[in-house]
Amino acid sequence: MRPAGDTAGTRAGHLAGIYPALMIGIFFLIPFALMLAVSVAHRVPDGFYEFAFEADNYRRIFEPVYLRTTLFSVGIAALVAAICIAIGFPFTYHLTRLPRRAQVLWLIFILAVLSLSEVLIAFCWQVLLSRTAGIGNVAVWLGLVERASSFYPSFGAVVLALVYLVLPYSVLVLYPPLSRLEPEIPEAARMLGASPLRTFFGTVVPVMRPAITAAAIMIFVFTIGAYLIPQVLGKPEHWTLSVLITDQAVFNANMPFAAALASFLMAITVVLVMAVLWLERRQEAA
Amino acid sequence: MKTIDKTHQGASGRAHGVTRRHVLAGAAALGASAVAAPFIRPARAAEPLKVGTYGGYFEESFVKHVYPEFTKATGIEVQSIAEPTGSTWLVQLENAARAGIAPADVSMMAGVPRLRGASAKLWAPLDTAKIPNLANVSSGFIEKYDDGSTYGVGAVSWYITLCSNTKTFPDAPASWADMWAADKKDTLGLLALPQNSFLLEITATTYFGGPDILKTQEGIEKVLAKLAEVKPNVRLWYKDEGTFQQALQDGEIPMGQYYHDVTGLAAADGFPVRSTFPKEGGVVDSGFWVVSKASKMLDQAQTFIDYTSSPAVQATLARKVGTAPVVARKHLDLSDDEFAAVASDIPPIVPQYDIYLKWGDWISEKWTAMITAG
Amino acid sequence: MHELALEGVTKRFGTVTAVADVSLAIPGGSFVCFLGPSGCGKTTLLRLIAGLETPSRGRVRLDGQDLTGLPPHRRNIGMVFQSLALFPHLAVGDNVGYGLRIRNVGKAERARRVEELLALVQLDGYGDRAISQLSGGQRQRVAIARALAMEPSLFLLDEPLSALDAKLREAMQVELRQLQQRLGITTIVVTHDQREAMTMSDLIVVMSEARVQQIGPPLEIYRNPANRFVADFIGASNLLTAERAGPGAARIGDLRLAVSGGTETSNEGAVTLLIRPEEVQILGAGAAGPNRIDGTVRFLRDVGASVEIHLDSAAGPLIAVAAPKDCPPLAVGTTTALELPAAALVALDR
Repeated sequence: MRPAGDTAGTRAGHLAGIYPALMIGIFFLIPFALMLAVSVAHRVPDGFYEFAFEADNYRRIFEPVYLRTTLFSVGIAALVAAICIAIGFPFTYHLTRLPRRAQVLWLIFILAVLSLSEVLIAFCWQVLLSRTAGIGNVAVWLGLVERASSFYPSFGAVVLALVYLVLPYSVLVLYPPLSRLEPEIPEAARMLGASPLRTFFGTVVPVMRPAITAAAIMIFVFTIGAYLIPQVLGKPEHWTLSVLITDQAVFNANMPFAAALASFLMAITVVLVMAVLWLERRQEAA
Repeated sequence: MKTIDKTHQGASGRAHGVTRRHVLAGAAALGASAVAAPFIRPARAAEPLKVGTYGGYFEESFVKHVYPEFTKATGIEVQSIAEPTGSTWLVQLENAARAGIAPADVSMMAGVPRLRGASAKLWAPLDTAKIPNLANVSSGFIEKYDDGSTYGVGAVSWYITLCSNTKTFPDAPASWADMWAADKKDTLGLLALPQNSFLLEITATTYFGGPDILKTQEGIEKVLAKLAEVKPNVRLWYKDEGTFQQALQDGEIPMGQYYHDVTGLAAADGFPVRSTFPKEGGVVDSGFWVVSKASKMLDQAQTFIDYTSSPAVQATLARKVGTAPVVARKHLDLSDDEFAAVASDIPPIVPQYDIYLKWGDWISEKWTAMITAG
Repeated sequence: MHELALEGVTKRFGTVTAVADVSLAIPGGSFVCFLGPSGCGKTTLLRLIAGLETPSRGRVRLDGQDLTGLPPHRRNIGMVFQSLALFPHLAVGDNVGYGLRIRNVGKAERARRVEELLALVQLDGYGDRAISQLSGGQRQRVAIARALAMEPSLFLLDEPLSALDAKLREAMQVELRQLQQRLGITTIVVTHDQREAMTMSDLIVVMSEARVQQIGPPLEIYRNPANRFVADFIGASNLLTAERAGPGAARIGDLRLAVSGGTETSNEGAVTLLIRPEEVQILGAGAAGPNRIDGTVRFLRDVGASVEIHLDSAAGPLIAVAAPKDCPPLAVGTTTALELPAAALVALDR
């Protein structure tokens, strides 16, 4: 027996469904459709583009330089995701075991770090890694080395700054599932004879695997779009596809090709994420 | 944010002598003028003449040193427009012209965008009779359409030279070839884009007897291959000038291509840097005054161009802005020191804008492949 | 058969004392319940034995050996948690065999032992099931099998049956007791359910406010509670506020009662008298005698197997429980004679 308010309830349900659809349409689908449209447009040198249907821009992506950069972007995003999980997961695990008050203080601190923009982080690390003002001088002061040296531009500097940028996100994404983890689960492992280390790797990590995968995917997607840090702290061989997209859009005024590269990067990302999710589901079923 | 602005300014012409200090001052001036603009607009006069110069230090300098004197001399009010560099401003002018609007009557344009505007006949032909000072301007600084009509007149020019830290290198380098020397490993800062670094022209002039080799794509590939050899010596490929200037002053990156004028200013401020014109010449690049065909103030625009082409104003610009004059030296009252501060007698390396017009995307791709190769 | 001894064990969390100076000895092979209301410290005491908490003071000994500094994974103690804490990513068999795998027991031997353990808890053939496919009772059995897998010297269960419905809980109580007797393993169960404690244990440790109130076999605790708290917490009770009136006597107003239960510690001052409802004798009308008073029936509840009678009397409100055949016909408002037998009256100090 449904109450009389049935029809009204359904209508409200429809309306509730329309709102997210509308927002996704406005903020995601329309810009995305525009980008796709531009990616097949005809380029007019220095005049932006005319709408057309050309595959040229996509054909150009298969030049070795773009493929190599794509591979590098995927690789560095995966590496940063792995490092962030390796640091962020144990950290968050211990964080959720602290008293409530300490947890709140840590989360506030992490949110504060999160408020730093990529621009600020890139330039702060540039200073920190420089020879004249950087941490090399601390090593000199400690007598570890004779002369300060600069640590950028380098691959390590790019990875370091990217990890710094996305680590807070990984903590925030891992925090809810880890704080929901029954504390008795690791205790049960301890009682069954597992050392703390073995408990962590043999029980906590496997139990949390879905959460870890979700966090890793988020970090990966976030990192693969990074532009400023590779640009500022890397040598050209450490530039990501995003840097080349910016070069095309801003410096070469080649919007169609920039849009094609961006669509390509997005397609690659979506395919990789789907693949990971598929593997994850298959393992779960096994 | 300011850093991003600078990066963008490096796009095509150049970000004129933008240092952190200048950008800050420029930004302040920009903010002030934006706020003040509605009140400055004179009630008595008709429309002011809108003049566009690259936003930042350049625009600030013109507002301070040129426009007031010009208004005093001619009675024509000027509204200063901060224009973005690169193709952006060209696209804006083009789209506005289609609607019959001119966001600026007179604009400073350099390099490829200037040529593209010309091929689109976006620039109004000028009446040279109304610009008597054109007689002083060196022929290389007068741009004409195929039918012989003049559309662009040089405003200022600037040099890219080989700059170095005097502490790290007590002896000044003599040649661009020094950048390839084995002892310069990991010490150079170079501009990261082909169309603003002009490294193709530099390499061609240093190793292939001149820019002629760049007339074919095979030739460009050869030059790129030679340029690739300099990569182990490059510490920083910069798009953001401020970054390199800081590193050069600190000695962190003790050598590289940079702007002659800014380096001179830094040296005058006591930093251990010097700018050297290599024996092959510095790279000269210039900003030209052009008038949008949609402008309804062609007469006033011509008066303005005539004014800035006068030897006196050119000398002022050299002294105050640090740019090289477009008027032959004999017409100027610049001392030897003042002249050396902004230019050199060595014949300059001239950018081959036409190759970027013809093969822009191709060059950009080969270039990217070259510098990003591991 | 392992004996556990606690010596002056105290646990403080900041300013809160969860366990205060607990000393007790648990004979090998016995089944013990830690009983008390929530927050009394019974779970903390269990965790101290398990090694999941470190005592602020005192020692934990097993067969005379000091366990106090030993981490939980070296104690070889089996534990069933309140949440069961089964590993959701592992199948039933892998959950049960977890401890064996940690101890590097070979694959074949492990499989054999897991089957044995599953048979022990009547889950034969469930080894490949996912935990999510099991019912609550089945999960309970998996948790028990897992804890017993490496033949622990001590078997601890923290509120193991609290998540089950009433009927299943009673069945599991019996089953758990039988399993323990078969294995002869020293077992400690934490519970707040006094019926559960009474059903299963050899020994009950009643706790309240971080302290042990009484230790003893269920019947002794029922009949001879050490104090008012234990009397009230275990079983139904009539607690009467009285004054001592010399050896073996107490007085409620003018009413004088002979008292022979409990341990006399004093002859004077306030005292609480306990009498269990089933000890209150309903005599019908008339007959006066020692420890006899009149009661007026206020409320009657006949549940078939027994009759519960609420009365007002000179000693205060009383509840009596009687078998229907032993009970004279009564109606609300009638007055009846009652006897509070001296042997059933227990004097409590506190």
